[in-house]
Amino acid sequence: MKIHTSTVFLFLFPAMLGLAVFRLAPVLIAIVGGFFSQTIRGDTIFVGMLNYTNLFSDDGFWNSLKVTILFNAILNPIQIFLAFILAMLVLKPSPGISVLRTTYVLPMTVAASITATIWNILLNPTLGPVNGILREIGIGTQPFFTSENQALASFIAIATWKGTGYWMLFLLAGLIVIPKDVYEAAAIDGATGWKRFMWITFPLMKRPLLYVLVADTAINFLFFTPVYVISNGGPNGSTSVLMFEAYQAAFVYLDHGRSLAISTIVLLIVMSIAALQFRLMRINKAI
Amino acid sequence: MISKNLIRSLAILFIAVIEILHSARAGELNVVWMGWPEEYVAPLMKGFQSANPDVQLKIERIPFVQIMQTLEVRLSARESTPDIFMCDGSLTSSYAARGHALDLSSVIDRNRLTPSAASQASFDGKIYSAPFGSSSQQLYYNKDLFKAAGIEPPSADPSKRWTWEKVVEVARKLRDPKNNVYGLVIAQADRPFQLLPLGQSKGGVPISPDGLKATGYIDTKPFIDAFTFYQKMYNEWDIAPKGLFQINLNEELFRTGKAAMFIGGTFNMEEIAKYPKLNWGMGLHPYFEGGKPVTPTGAWHFCVNPRSKDLVSARKFVQYFMSEDVHSKWLQMRPYPPVLNQIWTKEKTYFDRNPGWALVRHELSNTAVPRPPIVGWREYEAILLQAIQDINNGVDVSKRLSVAAQLIDREMVKYK
Repeated sequence: MKIHTSTVFLFLFPAMLGLAVFRLAPVLIAIVGGFFSQTIRGDTIFVGMLNYTNLFSDDGFWNSLKVTILFNAILNPIQIFLAFILAMLVLKPSPGISVLRTTYVLPMTVAASITATIWNILLNPTLGPVNGILREIGIGTQPFFTSENQALASFIAIATWKGTGYWMLFLLAGLIVIPKDVYEAAAIDGATGWKRFMWITFPLMKRPLLYVLVADTAINFLFFTPVYVISNGGPNGSTSVLMFEAYQAAFVYLDHGRSLAISTIVLLIVMSIAALQFRLMRINKAI
Repeated sequence: MISKNLIRSLAILFIAVIEILHSARAGELNVVWMGWPEEYVAPLMKGFQSANPDVQLKIERIPFVQIMQTLEVRLSARESTPDIFMCDGSLTSSYAARGHALDLSSVIDRNRLTPSAASQASFDGKIYSAPFGSSSQQLYYNKDLFKAAGIEPPSADPSKRWTWEKVVEVARKLRDPKNNVYGLVIAQADRPFQLLPLGQSKGGVPISPDGLKATGYIDTKPFIDAFTFYQKMYNEWDIAPKGLFQINLNEELFRTGKAAMFIGGTFNMEEIAKYPKLNWGMGLHPYFEGGKPVTPTGAWHFCVNPRSKDLVSARKFVQYFMSEDVHSKWLQMRPYPPVLNQIWTKEKTYFDRNPGWALVRHELSNTAVPRPPIVGWREYEAILLQAIQDINNGVDVSKRLSVAAQLIDREMVKYK
């Protein structure tokens, strides 16, 4: 059957349109927009590198960069490690395994804004039930989001709760497709559990791990909703991540050029980290 | 085979559908209104529709905590909708300066407005927003808690107004951690609207006269002392619930008997009636010893988008919603202090029914200070709000106000 190019194009068009409108266009707008500024009457003027030089001389921006990198440096390994552990735990079919798998995945079905609202109530230092329980068991109440020392850790905890199950799914899929006869052959050769993990499981999981690593990094660098709902970037800037800074720039400071410049910087950071991750996780073509 | 003509036709049809869906139609007004309960909004909107059957209203009600941010997103697109939008009165200058508000001087007679409402609605000598209701803050108290403790409650006599120092002294006595009862809750515990009067009571001026400089104003001794006092209420003295900024939760604490005193707005006079177990009274907003009484004021206005495709209908909307009849009805539904002078006379029977209104009228005439009508209020308020939240959490007050002042100055540059 002869395939006509126009037919192929027509079927691909909706997806390509979606990609162009919701992915490529915003990236281009951000990159180009970072070189412009708006007057208070909405007129757009070219300012060259001014938005970037202003950012690089702003303590608030450097604080946000530091907070974002710290947040990701702690959160990403924790999420991926726990996701891997959970995937291995729910790998083997057993009674009740589907219930466990569902339980781990449930948090991802809750919208980010609802998650933030719920945890804001649970961890409220004054009215929250978590502090009520901590007080009763003798640990004492905690400030959580109202403390410079605990706020970021509290966000890491809820992001872990929400995201781990999601990444578990991808790693579980990767584990399921590893051929069983490879493990059998290794067992015959006397390989113990740890050696089987290091020489069979981990190498064969490189592709799904790489995907999870890159995607998790990209998503966590865009962490915004819980900060907006709960902490407003505080206390004292301790949770002011880059995307919150970008939001503030656009809709509080009414400086869209600054906001787009921050978005472009986030994009460049994520791309750089993704490139580094690809290099470190170099996949042997034979696998 | 799919022909090129068919693809071209489909593309044109797609674009046309988007345009049709996107465009506003004449005779239709998109209205963004505050998220008051439906029973407060629907009757007034229906009244307008009955009087103007040729105009269709598409109404969106957005909650208080989201409306300002939502409007910033919508207005910065500089499109024809929303045609009408609610605004915090103190944002009038900001919207006018940025070209988001239509000059309404030909539609609204400023002589009908109370002086503070006229002031907030004005920019550059013209009226840019339609005032819809003012505000005042009072000191509500739980009579039963005061009686049980044998403490004389706050007085309604202006000559016996309590100081903040007295409020704290009593609140510390009434604080009952075992039963989760607080001595005091403040409705809007992080908002400059609520808390600027603390510093102003000590003689502080929040910003320069031209509205462009905060350094040397918000970071000076009166505000440092006032906010240090505020910080102690939530930390050292533990009389108020730390980290609780949601207005509805603070109101709920008082209404359910978990706070001995509450500083909140006039509409609480009606809302509290839904809690029959609460035996409450009303006193006057506190002031600092040695200072002067200053109370918050100003509330909701609404603006017309100058890019609206139906300015004729929009002006009809303004005329209707600025009528005495509508403002009388609004007072009955939601007791904000009226902004039309005539309503104070017309609704005398309503005001005489509740002695609390005498306190409100006294404050509006003697102690109410509107927020500074500056073009950069949006940025000023947001930056100061973050600072207040941090101060509530216990950071160094002087340093935090200094950082806030510098940030405000940076953002005011664009208005010079």
